[in-house]
Amino acid sequence: MNATTLTLKESPTVPLEAECLSPDVIAPLRHDAIAALPVFLGKHQHRLDDFFAVEGDGGDEMVIRGDVGRVKWIGRGMTCGKITVVGHAGMHLGAYMKGGTIEVSGNAGDWVGAEMTGGTIHIHGDAGGQLGAAYRGSLAGMKGGIILVEGSAGMEIGMRMKRGILAVKGPVRDFAGLQMKGGSLFLLGGAELRTGAWMIRGTIVCGKPIPLLPTFSHACDYSPTFLRLYDRRLQERGFSLPHRLGEGDYRRYSGDSAVPGKGELLIWQPSAGVPR
Amino acid sequence: MGGKVTCTLGEVKNRADLIVYWGGNPAECHPRHFTKYTLTQKGKFIPKGRKDRTMILVDIRETPSAKAADIFLQVRPNKDFEMLSILRALIKGQRVHAERVAETGLTLEQLTDFAERMKKARFGVLFFGMGLSMTRGKHMNSAALLSLAAELNAFTKFVAMPMRGHGNVTGGDVIMRWTTGYPFGVNLSRGYPRFNPGEFSTVDLLLRGDNDAALILGADPGATMPQPAIDHLARIPTIVLDPKVTHTSRLSRVHITTAATGISAPGTVYRMDEIPLPLRPPLKSPYPTDEEVVRRIYKAVAKKPMWLPPEEPAAKG
Repeated sequence: MNATTLTLKESPTVPLEAECLSPDVIAPLRHDAIAALPVFLGKHQHRLDDFFAVEGDGGDEMVIRGDVGRVKWIGRGMTCGKITVVGHAGMHLGAYMKGGTIEVSGNAGDWVGAEMTGGTIHIHGDAGGQLGAAYRGSLAGMKGGIILVEGSAGMEIGMRMKRGILAVKGPVRDFAGLQMKGGSLFLLGGAELRTGAWMIRGTIVCGKPIPLLPTFSHACDYSPTFLRLYDRRLQERGFSLPHRLGEGDYRRYSGDSAVPGKGELLIWQPSAGVPR
Repeated sequence: MGGKVTCTLGEVKNRADLIVYWGGNPAECHPRHFTKYTLTQKGKFIPKGRKDRTMILVDIRETPSAKAADIFLQVRPNKDFEMLSILRALIKGQRVHAERVAETGLTLEQLTDFAERMKKARFGVLFFGMGLSMTRGKHMNSAALLSLAAELNAFTKFVAMPMRGHGNVTGGDVIMRWTTGYPFGVNLSRGYPRFNPGEFSTVDLLLRGDNDAALILGADPGATMPQPAIDHLARIPTIVLDPKVTHTSRLSRVHITTAATGISAPGTVYRMDEIPLPLRPPLKSPYPTDEEVVRRIYKAVAKKPMWLPPEEPAAKG
């Protein structure tokens, strides 16, 4: 069966809220019903086909074409199926998602995969802040699933995350893993200030040296076995962790003692050419 | 992360024996603060006034307020969050290495002494200013300080209070809070309040160009906001209500001169401890008040047809 294709006619002047763009909503519908789905431009309710050219009937797969950088809530709470965004995606992409796959060829906005519990989000460009984070006032961020970012990411990624995997190839900004409660955060391109601030549990793995908060203390230098398992799983998706023996080891810091927490920060230290 | 543990300035006057100012310069910016509430006044439980109180100032440079302080702690710029983290660890008895403390520009002894003084105080207050809340880390710096105040309540009574800047910003926060449940960054476009600073806060909306009109009331974003935000305000229809012509008025489509509240219009102002104070105007003004103008705009808008689309019975089911 062919995928449902939505092509943006022209970029909306103000952000468009389109939480109906999810396979769970679209799959059982015929072409006409999809075209009549409600979307919100400011306070005004419109039909989906006012903004998108809809092709095909509903199905598990949908393709969104065009610069939907101002379209919010794509794939909200989806449980299955696949969304492919050819272009940039807007804020709250895949927020609360439970399953399925989202793939974005361009950049994505803030709050990607916020409070998700399952599924996979793969962003080929850069992502904004608050990836897999908890919404303001909420106790826990992502509780499962995988978020992969090929480019860079913004502030407060993985804020209050509880479970799941979040991997970013490029550099990230301040407060990565803020108040983390669990889960694994891979920062392969390093981070700016205050990584792991107020973390209680969880693991942050850093591929590059980063500035540390004074409330983290050095525990040991070692090469954790479990990282090989993560590496194997991430390599299937084109991400690789430095972990080979002889190439270096990880410096483990524990913290954040301000909370006080039992989180760990593993920072890769390449050895100076001397195999151990 | 808890909320704000706070009190009124009357309580500060009558009870506080440890006053901490963080990232602010009250001697120049809030000149009556020392004499009316925090330092020189004698209070019910502070019989000797200034002699019964200890004042600690934390700032990146020695301002005139440092003269009034018993202890001045000069923190390196943008290291407030680190310093607050260390203090939070110290008050819980966690070990912090002296060499890691050095990056804040202070020594471990200074911070340990500070933490001990806070724990031993009978009633402590943390006042924080824009030097904390508007530097790198922004809301997280404030959150760190508020958490510190909340956690100190395991040992003694401790409160925190922001040193508010412009006229009646506290009032804006308070009114938004009891009408929508959130203090700022509220979006009502879907018919119910949604709160998300970063997405719906003014400066972020303007920077991304997410709004297509603006009504500015008693503020001058044209003078304070970053240039791309100002450019966006100039691009869209902007309406300004202000007693005087501001920078924002110059780039707006419409400027409506209103009476100055407190001088020629009555109203209510919220003091920084959220106490509402009624204002009685001594003068008369030929201009309408802000309230009158907004009511008239609202009346005109209410005459427009309903925006909801008619129900489509065929599309349902």
